[in-house]
Amino acid sequence: MEQLFDLALFNSALRMLTPILLAALGGALCARVGLFNVGLEGLMLIGAFSAIVGNHYFGNTGAAIAFSIGCVSLFALLFAYLCIHLRANVIVVGIAMNLLAAGLTTFSLRTLFNVKGAYYNKDMVGLPKWEIPLIKDIPVVGDILSGHSPLVYLAIVLVGAMWYYFYRTIGGFRFLAAGDNPLAARSLGIQVRRYQYGAMLACGVLCALAGAQLSLGQVTMFTEGMTAGRGFIALVATMLGQSGPLGVAAASLLFGLMDAFSIRLQGFAMPSHFTQMVPYAVTIAAMFFFKNKEFVKDAQSSGTSSR
Amino acid sequence: MDKWKKLTASLLGPAAAIALGLLAGSIAIVIAGGSILETYAEMWKGAFGSLYFLTSTLNRATPVILVGLGAAVAFRSGFFNLGAQGQMALGGLAAALTALYVPGPGWIVAIVSMLVGIAAGGLWSAFAGYMDARFRMNLLITTLLLNYIATLFASYMVAYPFKDKTGSAAMAQSQMIDNAIWLPKLFKGMPAHVGLLLALVAMVALYVYLTRTVSGYEARMMGGNPLFAVYGGVRRTPLMLGVMFASGGLAGLAGAGEVLGSQYRYIDNSFVAADFAWTGIMAALLANAHPIGTAIAAFFLVALQTGGMGVEMNTDVPLEIGDVIQAVLILFITVKFVRGFRRRRKEGDPNGAAV
Amino acid sequence: MLLKMEGISKNYGDVRANRQIDYDLKPGEVHAIVGENGAGKTTLMRILYGMEQPSSGTIRIGGREVRFADPKDAIAHGIGMVHQHFMLFQNFTVAENIVIGKEPGKLRFDRKAAIAQVEALSEKYGIRVDPRARIVDCPLGVQQRVEILKVLYQGAEIIILDEPTGVLTPLEVGELLEAIRTLTKQGKSFILISHKLNEVMSAADRITVLRDGEVTGVLEASRTSIEELSRLMVGRPLAAMDKQPALPKDKVLEVKELSVLGSGSKPAVDSVSLHVRAGEIVGIAGISGNGQSELLQAISGLIKPAGGTVALLGADVTGKSAREFRNAGLAHIPEDRYVWGASKSATVAETGTMGHQRKLGKLGFLQGRIVKARVSEWIKQYAIKAGSPDNETQNLSGGNLQKLIVAREIAQQTPFLIAAEPTRGVDIGAMETIHEQLLRKRDAGGAILLVSSELSEILKLSDRILVMYEGKIVGELQEGDATEEKLSLLMVGGKRNG
Repeated sequence: MEQLFDLALFNSALRMLTPILLAALGGALCARVGLFNVGLEGLMLIGAFSAIVGNHYFGNTGAAIAFSIGCVSLFALLFAYLCIHLRANVIVVGIAMNLLAAGLTTFSLRTLFNVKGAYYNKDMVGLPKWEIPLIKDIPVVGDILSGHSPLVYLAIVLVGAMWYYFYRTIGGFRFLAAGDNPLAARSLGIQVRRYQYGAMLACGVLCALAGAQLSLGQVTMFTEGMTAGRGFIALVATMLGQSGPLGVAAASLLFGLMDAFSIRLQGFAMPSHFTQMVPYAVTIAAMFFFKNKEFVKDAQSSGTSSR
Repeated sequence: MDKWKKLTASLLGPAAAIALGLLAGSIAIVIAGGSILETYAEMWKGAFGSLYFLTSTLNRATPVILVGLGAAVAFRSGFFNLGAQGQMALGGLAAALTALYVPGPGWIVAIVSMLVGIAAGGLWSAFAGYMDARFRMNLLITTLLLNYIATLFASYMVAYPFKDKTGSAAMAQSQMIDNAIWLPKLFKGMPAHVGLLLALVAMVALYVYLTRTVSGYEARMMGGNPLFAVYGGVRRTPLMLGVMFASGGLAGLAGAGEVLGSQYRYIDNSFVAADFAWTGIMAALLANAHPIGTAIAAFFLVALQTGGMGVEMNTDVPLEIGDVIQAVLILFITVKFVRGFRRRRKEGDPNGAAV
Repeated sequence: MLLKMEGISKNYGDVRANRQIDYDLKPGEVHAIVGENGAGKTTLMRILYGMEQPSSGTIRIGGREVRFADPKDAIAHGIGMVHQHFMLFQNFTVAENIVIGKEPGKLRFDRKAAIAQVEALSEKYGIRVDPRARIVDCPLGVQQRVEILKVLYQGAEIIILDEPTGVLTPLEVGELLEAIRTLTKQGKSFILISHKLNEVMSAADRITVLRDGEVTGVLEASRTSIEELSRLMVGRPLAAMDKQPALPKDKVLEVKELSVLGSGSKPAVDSVSLHVRAGEIVGIAGISGNGQSELLQAISGLIKPAGGTVALLGADVTGKSAREFRNAGLAHIPEDRYVWGASKSATVAETGTMGHQRKLGKLGFLQGRIVKARVSEWIKQYAIKAGSPDNETQNLSGGNLQKLIVAREIAQQTPFLIAAEPTRGVDIGAMETIHEQLLRKRDAGGAILLVSSELSEILKLSDRILVMYEGKIVGELQEGDATEEKLSLLMVGGKRNG
């Protein structure tokens, strides 16, 4: 009988948490400048699809990721323009973005590859697995940390980079200020909109990477709706982590572990339906951490911050 | 006079959206290597070309209208219920199981099954409402996550305990329900069934509710400014539970109607594949959650889908052409919000314009 | 001449907020601008600070014509502004708030240098602050010092103070005036915007009076009087209000030892007991932020108290919902008309229906015709400029919306009325209407609890005055006994002798 917990579980948890973490960091950037980005799911889906398209046409994972970043950035800019310049409701645009992503990827899958449901090609190369020279020889840690796609390591580095940006640089200081009190920031001549655009664009890049990790890192294929709610789980991670890089990383770790756990459970005699529910159920359970706020107080504070 | 002006103004947006959608569709057709006129002609035929096609469009529109109305009542009250997919699945499953296992005369069982479907979808939805009202858990996210749980649960039910083992195929589906319980068709031999009339009744009822009743007024005010509503004596929790029950109940009815009037069993993944839930939500968004507008938008969106099937059958253009047009329409709804904003700015209060 | 503004006009659509305004400022001078709400003071300053572009007119600084596209340009020309609502970042430290926009360091933010610079600046101008404290933990007076240090750090020579004393205790006001004197000696110039004439008289060298967007007078402070200023501000003599003595009857509202939790460790409302009788207006005075908002929310059913009881006409309604409070006899003019009092996207009729909807229902249906007829009646009676009842609420001006809300709540004809900041930000005409209606309600036997941060309003209307400080009722004065001085002392926690 298979074991429920072993090192490989943590190894796969690291792999599974990466797309959630990347998207959640993007969500955190947006949240910090007052944009509640419901569109993470859609941006991630476009990222996953365009990474496969790039891979198909360029036959090179680097170019594929670059192509994916380009595509998603375009949509992120459109998103930003609608929300910031045209002042459309962020939640409505986010929902629309998700629907748009689902429709466009389905249509493009059909026109570009002439297939329905999923595209797979054995000639496509996925992201390489990196063995980290020194670390891989350390007994326990090496088994967990080594042998992942570069995006896994990039995600971890980005957590640190974002922390440094937020709390140590002038740019990050102003970024946080623009989100904390946009009116005050404007009165000092800080271009709040520029930071909002920057956040949305960076979020697009992060979602592109998240999507690429899904379609090129974990498997090498694209299936319709393959993000399967991970964008929303990432959004919860953003909320649980209170939009701080370390908190977001911790929340993502929990969800990644649950993702890996749910796959592991399939080895047991349990219908896959229930094992697949685990990440969603755990996410809902995690949201309990947000209780204990009276509606009136909550609505007041959100009401004043947007004014 | 003023009313006419308002009406034309409100029609201008949708008209422009449709024009832009068709334009984008044309581009997609050219890319896919088809002829624009021929493709649109086929699309028209596929959607409305004969009584059979028209009624099959109406048949497909039935659940979409119901889901759209459910989304509309929630949106109007300021509650982002995106859980129609799960609510519909549970409604369909519950109706199928009731129809299979509850004895009695056919029409009574049919009615009971629909009521059970409404209750299943409604309670699932109200559960999300309860979590928001009681624990402040973001409704938009919980309803979405609950979709996955409900859909997986329904799949499990027809894959294991209630699987139809009589058939030779290995499909995950329930047994077929007795044909005494089937909802009657509107025209003999044509797809559309009585559920469509229910949907139209629901549309009128919702319109009257929102515009004429005290509770509908309170719901709309809750959507406009929740603090104002609470201040004025609207009780948020009961209203939220009620609205969420109605919203999910309509989605549940959509599932029940589809099972009792069209598929005669619960087939795993059939609702998801037809994209009923999200099309309904799109319809509500397109119509700014106006009940009658939602029904019209639902019909139009479904016509794009059934028309797309006609296109695929008779030309080289894939049926997903409908998805592209839909996607552009969806983008356009956000532009509608913009128009409202521009006007506000012009009249603007000088203190608010410090952007 | 340091600054010269000539022929400044600003139109918003058909509204002419500023008309041909001239204004100038000498080095080391305090030149005040006074006027009623809506007279155009704020617009003029927003133009000077680069937040608005004038429709016509010129600005000169040191003789050179300048144009400001945004506040950054204004700051670069030595103009600093201390806004009425402080523009501070609550979660940042004092030092961070002062240096923002001109932080020491290149890419990396050198916080140590920031603290050192703030300490030096604080020393130089004799304005004391703790650079490491977080703004949320600072009292409002300290926050204002931070604002002043911020503009000094930015190198301002001209400092605009917009209604600087609104949130300050009398002691803090004294400190502010002292700081202004010190800074003018060091060559800084001040533009002081206010509607409090006695403060203007004691701080300013010159005074420009605005009315309806136009200058109605430029006066030397030493050669004018408060009477002359108020005549120029209002343009007509104020209608004398005849207020009959109150005839209090039975207790309508009775609050016992009510407590509401605050955000920190201190309770926002601390064991407050009070009552209001039929036929009297009880005023609650206090500097805003001392628990008045929470008290009101707890006695109108919007938040649940942590302890104590609330009774309306003898019925215990503690912890019940707002609807039950209303059913028990409450009407409520809320302190913020946009947050609580209206829905911007609703029609005027819909906004006017709130609270009445259950009375105007018949078998669950709202009687639209009756609703519209009532709202139209209010529009006439209160002279509300609303167009038709089908107009959108957001198209109403602040004063007109406030009148609509007052009309709506008075029409509830309930035994008890809460009037919170009933005339905040409205013009004189609307203020007179609202005051008159409140008194009429009292004379008809209504019990009214008035909360206002304007002492003059409290003194004018109240029959009995309670003073709130740090969540507690710290004093009670009868109408004849109350003076502005006594109240001011109580408002900052000073004990009343005897």
